Formats: sequence, C-alpha cells, structure tokens
Amino acid sequence: MIMKAELDKNILIFLLSAIGLIVFPHVYHIPPAVFGFFCLLLGWRFAGIWKRNWLPKMPVILLLAICGIGLLYSQHQGIFGRDAGTNLFITALGLKLLEIKAERDLYLISYLAFIVAASQFLYEQSIAMAAYILLVCCALLAVLVAINSYKMQTSAALKTSAIIIAQALPIAVALFILFPRIEAPRWMLFKDLHQNKTGLSDSMEPGSISDLVLSEELVFRVKFAGAIPPPNQRYWRGPVLSYSDGKRWTQSSFQNPLTRPSVTGAPYRYTLLMEPQDKNWVFALDMPQEFSPPLTLNAAYQLVTSDRHDKRAEYQVTSYAYYNTGSLNASEYKAAIQLPAEPSDKIKQLVGQLQGFDGAPDNFIDQLLSYFRTEDFHYTLTPPVMDNNPIETFLFQTRRGFCSHYASAFVYLMRVAHIPARIVTGYQGGEMNKVGDFMEIRQADAHAWVEVWLKDKGWVRVDPTAAIAPERIEREISMDRRTSYGIATANNYLPRSAYDWLKQARQLWGSVDYNWQRWVINYDNKNQSSLMSSFGINNLKTMVYWMIAVVGSIAAVLCWFLLYQKPKAPDNKALLFYNRFCKKLSKHGLFRGAGEGAKDFAERAKVKLPSLAKDIDRITDVFIKLRYGRSASEEDLQQLKSLVALFRS
Amino acid sequence: MQNAINQLLDSANQVILGKPRQVRLALCCLLARGHLLIEDIPGVGKTTLSHTLAKLLGLNYQRIQFTSDILPADIIGASVFDTKSHEFKFHPGPVFNQMILADEVNRATPKAQSALLEAMEERQVTVEGTTYPLPEPFFVIATQNPSHQIGTFPLPESQLDRFLMRVELGYPDPQAERQLLTGQSRHSLCESLPVKLPPEQLQSIQGAVAQVHVSNALLDYCQGIINFTRSSSEYHCGLSPRAGLALLTAAKAWAFMDSRDAVIPEDLQAVLAAVAGHRLRAGNSQSEAIVAPILANVPVH
Repeated sequence: MIMKAELDKNILIFLLSAIGLIVFPHVYHIPPAVFGFFCLLLGWRFAGIWKRNWLPKMPVILLLAICGIGLLYSQHQGIFGRDAGTNLFITALGLKLLEIKAERDLYLISYLAFIVAASQFLYEQSIAMAAYILLVCCALLAVLVAINSYKMQTSAALKTSAIIIAQALPIAVALFILFPRIEAPRWMLFKDLHQNKTGLSDSMEPGSISDLVLSEELVFRVKFAGAIPPPNQRYWRGPVLSYSDGKRWTQSSFQNPLTRPSVTGAPYRYTLLMEPQDKNWVFALDMPQEFSPPLTLNAAYQLVTSDRHDKRAEYQVTSYAYYNTGSLNASEYKAAIQLPAEPSDKIKQLVGQLQGFDGAPDNFIDQLLSYFRTEDFHYTLTPPVMDNNPIETFLFQTRRGFCSHYASAFVYLMRVAHIPARIVTGYQGGEMNKVGDFMEIRQADAHAWVEVWLKDKGWVRVDPTAAIAPERIEREISMDRRTSYGIATANNYLPRSAYDWLKQARQLWGSVDYNWQRWVINYDNKNQSSLMSSFGINNLKTMVYWMIAVVGSIAAVLCWFLLYQKPKAPDNKALLFYNRFCKKLSKHGLFRGAGEGAKDFAERAKVKLPSLAKDIDRITDVFIKLRYGRSASEEDLQQLKSLVALFRS
Repeated sequence: MQNAINQLLDSANQVILGKPRQVRLALCCLLARGHLLIEDIPGVGKTTLSHTLAKLLGLNYQRIQFTSDILPADIIGASVFDTKSHEFKFHPGPVFNQMILADEVNRATPKAQSALLEAMEERQVTVEGTTYPLPEPFFVIATQNPSHQIGTFPLPESQLDRFLMRVELGYPDPQAERQLLTGQSRHSLCESLPVKLPPEQLQSIQGAVAQVHVSNALLDYCQGIINFTRSSSEYHCGLSPRAGLALLTAAKAWAFMDSRDAVIPEDLQAVLAAVAGHRLRAGNSQSEAIVAPILANVPVH
C-alpha cells in the first residue's frame, strides 16, 4: 500500500494528538518515569513530523526498546498485573510511534491506542471518565476514517466517527444488558502494590479520624425501603475497639459464641451499596438483625463479608434501633474493663468526684456527660497535638478535641470506674439525596462513639461527642463538611440560596452517579439474572436467544437505514459502471483524482497500462458519450456494462 | 471545419513560436465571440499574436495605441462640420473595424477606456443621438501591461469582466527563443500569411459552437465550480452568473475545436484559468495558480 504523502502530515498530527489525549489520564495511575518516557517518545514523534531526519534509526529504536523494558522491569519486576500490563501497553505504544513506515503501522497504532483507552477503566469507572474515553475513541476513530478518505478534513472525519459511534451504541447497550456476564475467579485478579485507600482502620489513636473528616470520598450509599431513621440514630457500625495501650486502641481478638441480641421496635429495611474497600467490613445501621450470606455478624456485632470487598457490592440488611445484647461472659468483661496501667491519682480523683460514693453506672454516665458539657471542653477538628499520656493531657490541659478524643477519654474513665465500656468506630449521619432518594455516607462522616455495658440493658450506645457538640450528631448536613467547603464560615459570606443551589446540583449529580454505579458498574451476573427474571427470562439460553434477536434487529434497522440512504450516490447507471472501472484500475495503483475528468484519467491510465490502452479508450469514450453526450441509448449503457465487466485488471 | 481550424493554428504557430496553448486559447475566445485580453510585459509578442490572427482570419485590422492623453473621440470617431453641405458629418473612428488591437489599454485614462469597453459590450456606438452599428464580426484584442508598471490605470473588475478571456504569454522557452532570434522578422512573416478562415466560415463556426451540447452532468460540474469560488475562503468574491455563462461559452468553443459535439469536464478545466483568472483576482496575473484550488477540490462526477 502506498502512503499518500501529502496527507501524511495532517493525519499524523491528528493521530498523535488523539493518542496524547488517550494516555493523558494515566498520569494519575502510572509511575512518573514511565509516563515521562512515553511523553518523550510522543514529543519526539511530534518533532519528527516537521524534521523528518530527527526520527531515530533502527539501532536507536532498539536501544529505546531496551530502555523501555528496563524501565518496566525496574517498576514492576514483571509484566503481569494491572499496573504492569498497562505500562507495558503504554510503553509499546510510544515505541511503535517512532516506527511509522506504512499505512499498516497507522492501523496498528490506532488499535493499540484503543486498548490503552480501555485500560483506563481498570482504574476509574466514573461517568466522567466513560464520557472522556468515548470522546477520545471518537477522535481515534476519526483518524481511521481520515486515513481511508480521499481528502482529509478534520471536522468531516469527526462527524463520520461520531455517527459511527452513535450507530454502534444501541448494539453496545443491548450486548451490555444481554451478554452473559462472566465473573473472573478471584485468583485471576493480580494484586497490585500501589493500592492505598483511605478509610477507617482497625486501630485508633486520638486524632486519627481527623484526616478522614476532610475527605469527601463516598463510602457507601443506602436506599431505604420504608422508614428512614432520624439523624440521631444513624450510627453505621464499624470495628469495635476494646484494647488500649494508653494511647492506641485496637480490636480484641476474642471469638466467643455470639448470642443474637433481642430486638424490639420497627425495623429499618435497606440496601447497602458499598464502594470498594480495603477491609471486609460492611457498615450496617445499629443493630443489624437480618442479612444474607456472604455477610456474617462478628462477636462485636459488626457485619463482615466473606466476598470480595475491593469492588462494589450490594447487600440487603434489616436493622432495629432498639435492642438488648444480654449478658457478658468473663473474657468479654475482662476485655471491657482492661486498662493499660494503673490510673493516676488525678484520674482517680476525678472519677471519685463524678461517681460519688457507690453511684449507679447510669448516674456516672450522666455525670460524666454533664462534666463534658459544663466544663470548658471544646469540639474542634484541629486540636493541639497530645503525645504523652493523651487522655490525661486532654482531660486536664488542652480540653480540645473531637469524637476520638472524647470517646477514648470516656471509655477510659468508665473503665477506671469498673464499668465495662468500649469504643465503636464507624460512620454517623449521612446526607439524603433528595433526587435519587437514597443516603450518601462519606468519609467525612467517620465517627467514634462509646458502648457501655449495663446490667439488664446489655451494650448501650453513648455518644460523648453529642454532649459537647450536639449539632455534630443531630444535623442533616455535616457542619464540618460545610466548614471544610468554606461554605459555613464564621461570617457566612455565601448566600443561603446559592448554597441550596449548590446542594441541589450536588444531589442531582450524586443521584446520576448512584444510578451509574448501581446499574452500570455494579451490573454483575446476579443483577443481570434478577433484571432478566423481571422480564421473564429465566435461563441463560433464553437470554442468549434474546441477545441475538435484539442485536440482530438493531443491525437490521441500521442496515435498512443505510441501504435506504444509499441510492443517492449511483443515480446514474453510467457513473456506476464507470466507478467499477475505476475500482478495477485502482488495483494497479491508479486512483482518479476528485477533480480529474474521465479523459485525463484515461490518458494517465494508458501511460501506465499501455497493453490495455484500447479497452481504456473504448470504455472512456462510451462513458463520455453516455454522461456528457447529446444522445445516448440504452445500448450504449449495456455496452459500457459489458466492457467494464470484461475489462481485465 | 475542424480541418480549417487546425490549419489556422499550424500557421499561427509558425509565427508565434512555442505558445501553442495561448494561440489555441486566443482562437477559442474568438470562436466564442468573446474579446481577449493579453496581459504581459512589453515585447513578448502580444501585438504579433493579434496581428497574426487578424491576417489568418482575413479581417479588417486596426491598431489603436492607447496613451494617457487619448480621448474617446480618438477611438469612436467624431462629427465634423462639412462646409460644402453645411451640416455635421460623422467620421468613424478606428473602432469601426472587424478586429481591433487596443494596445496598452491600461495606459489610457478611465474615460477613454470606457468608450472602448462600451463599444465592446454593445457592439454599437452612439454619437450625438445617432447609433452606428459596428461591423460583424467584431473582436477586440486588448493588451495590458502588468499593473505594477509606471503610468498605468488598472481596469476595474467590472470592465475586466467584459473580456471573455485573459491570456498571459510569458517568455518563450530557450528552444523557441533561439528559433526566434535566428529566423525571419516576425513582421514580414505576418504580412505574408494567407487567409485560412474567411469571415463567412468564421460566422458559421460561431453558429456551430453555440450548438455544442451541454449535459446536466456538466452543468453540475460548472455549478460546482461557481459555488466553490463563492464559498471558499481562497477568493475575495466568487464568480458571477455572467462569468458562469462565459465559462460555458468558452468550453463549448474548446470542445468544438477538439472535434466534439458535447462539452466534457476537461473542456471546462482547459479554459478555466483563462476565463476565471482575471475575474477572481484582478491584480494577479498568475491565472493557473489562482484556479488551482478549484481544479483540485471540485469533484467531477
């Protein structure tokens, strides 16, 4: 195949720009060295468009390839896994750019670029990314269109490719819905090193939750079927911490047989849509009672999943707000009153002062809460650093802190008073999305509260933070978040209507995103089969038949549409036959120019194919007679037809 | 008839060396009843070309040298008082000839230029209320110096439009130039030329040219060209409907000279530069370059 030299440059600029756009979002995913290497290759190729002799020769390319392999190996020690595989493709794409010799190479590069475009979805599956990838694929397709069109026109090529994508979309949607979904077995998914998710951890130090509070990252969404709990009951239970070394709180590893708590009151039924987590925790509303495998309730009444937690998952849970967990056994009791060391006199004095002489535990809790409320304690997200003996420093010196400070101090004081207590971490609150009618819980909602064991009542939730900052618990919208957004600052400079508008826009987007996650990203074989059974399709075979039928009918409609449009071109039979003749000549590398008349073309063809000169002349003469002549008959048309048919190319 | 045309062209090419295409275009212009503008620097054979054509066609030939002080009366004639008959009598000017060479037309003032150009358009002259028809056939071959030369009044676009074609002669190639330098004087060669196409035959050819067939497919192409010049950013303003008619007329004549009774796209392309060049960009004499984008972009179907 001959390259059209004059089109070369424009197509290259187009192709390289499209590739730059495709690889660009990977800047967040791949090591800077690899990305830099790719940019170097791309820039080199760009320069090569204008300075042809700057392009590297074969040995240099070989050297660069070795460099690329070395770079990949130094980053990943192999080519398996998501990151290594993506980097391999990007490096290969960059190297191939320097080696464009024929049209074939342009095709190869385009196909490689499609793969790199698809690899974006291994990292990010948001709507915005999907739209971006669709757009750059449109540009890439336009490159393919331009390579195959006689005259390269960027806007026309983009239009054509957009039409192609628009025509392909219905088929893609049908295949997406109806194609049997295959789940890769777990062992096939390679673990990657660079995975770092923020979230609650299985230990807590005073101050450890504050870095979450500024994160707007979504943790999970909840869709209630029925009543929605009031804000002060929205406690989403996470890991329970009961062992303390004085500073750090961790989970106890006791595994006692669990007695299900007895529940009363109205149930809350809801669907949890968990975002990918790096822990197998599922945050259920206190107290989860009904749930289905793979969920299990652990000893601390926390839901955990045995299924994969690094991808989105959906769970049906029923919780009850009023419960009684019953009695404690010895090891539980021991864990719940554990103290890191003998408390100091100051602490003992405080406890004695608050507890009074042999006061009831209930009384002590109230006393302690009112102590927090009446004394000079402050709720702040930026407390001073407390390094040594943080609880005492907090209680007697700084008196500034947030949920983890109050919870740990509270539990400590409880335990000093021999009342079993422990810290529960999780999320508190959640914002209703009014558009989509679901609740969004973000990292900013991370919270720590306290459970105290009381005789006859079992574990009872106490939230010391509510005493010091009730608005933190009662609010519909997080005060902290508003502060961190700069919306609710001291002198509230943003008008309320503007804030409402912002909130509505956010909720609308959140709803769109929820549906995207729910129906597109999370569309697995389970969801598929439930959707299909709602259409009355119950087995795989019927589904495949349906798929073939739907795709076939869409294709038929498109075909009919295209064929219906077609007759516009060959309105003239003579032109149709003549075009066939031109097609035959094109096999000899003879292409009729857009503005080239039949006679000029024939002269050119005769020079190249002197042996066929007679036939070429006859065909051209008859065509000219038919097309431009005064009187042409049906016989002439038949003659042209047979001449073209007999023409040996 | 094509035979006579070919003989005429052969004879002309004996005199005008190395310019067969320009000679052919000039004849084509005459067969299409158009006026011809030859634009080039002095001394490349503009006058010789017109003189040769006049001789070969057997037409009355008159040269009018345009200068900056020429008056309309010097071109079309004037009424002079006759003392014998005591009345004014019209003395026809040099314009009353079958073939006129308006030499260096852009050296005259606009007033004198318009006098000639009006005569060209109307093919008649009106002096003091009386209309005098011009002879048939009537051709004007105007020559023009490139407008960047000193002492020129460039013709406005509206008047350039009166010329069917503009032809550039250019320097001869080395071979032709050597032949020219060693051969006889062009003037004596010219004088000795026989008439190859007498006026009656010319008129019948002109009649036949008008009958050349134009198919719808060709009209599509012609309109494609016109629309391209109107929509493309290459051109300041596109071709007028009159220019479209001129294009077709010239293409018909070209097809006739090529012994065809129907116009094909190649005919349009052959005359495009000469017909459209001066209409698209008046100040520029590179006609071929001006129309190159048209030829490259307008598709032939």
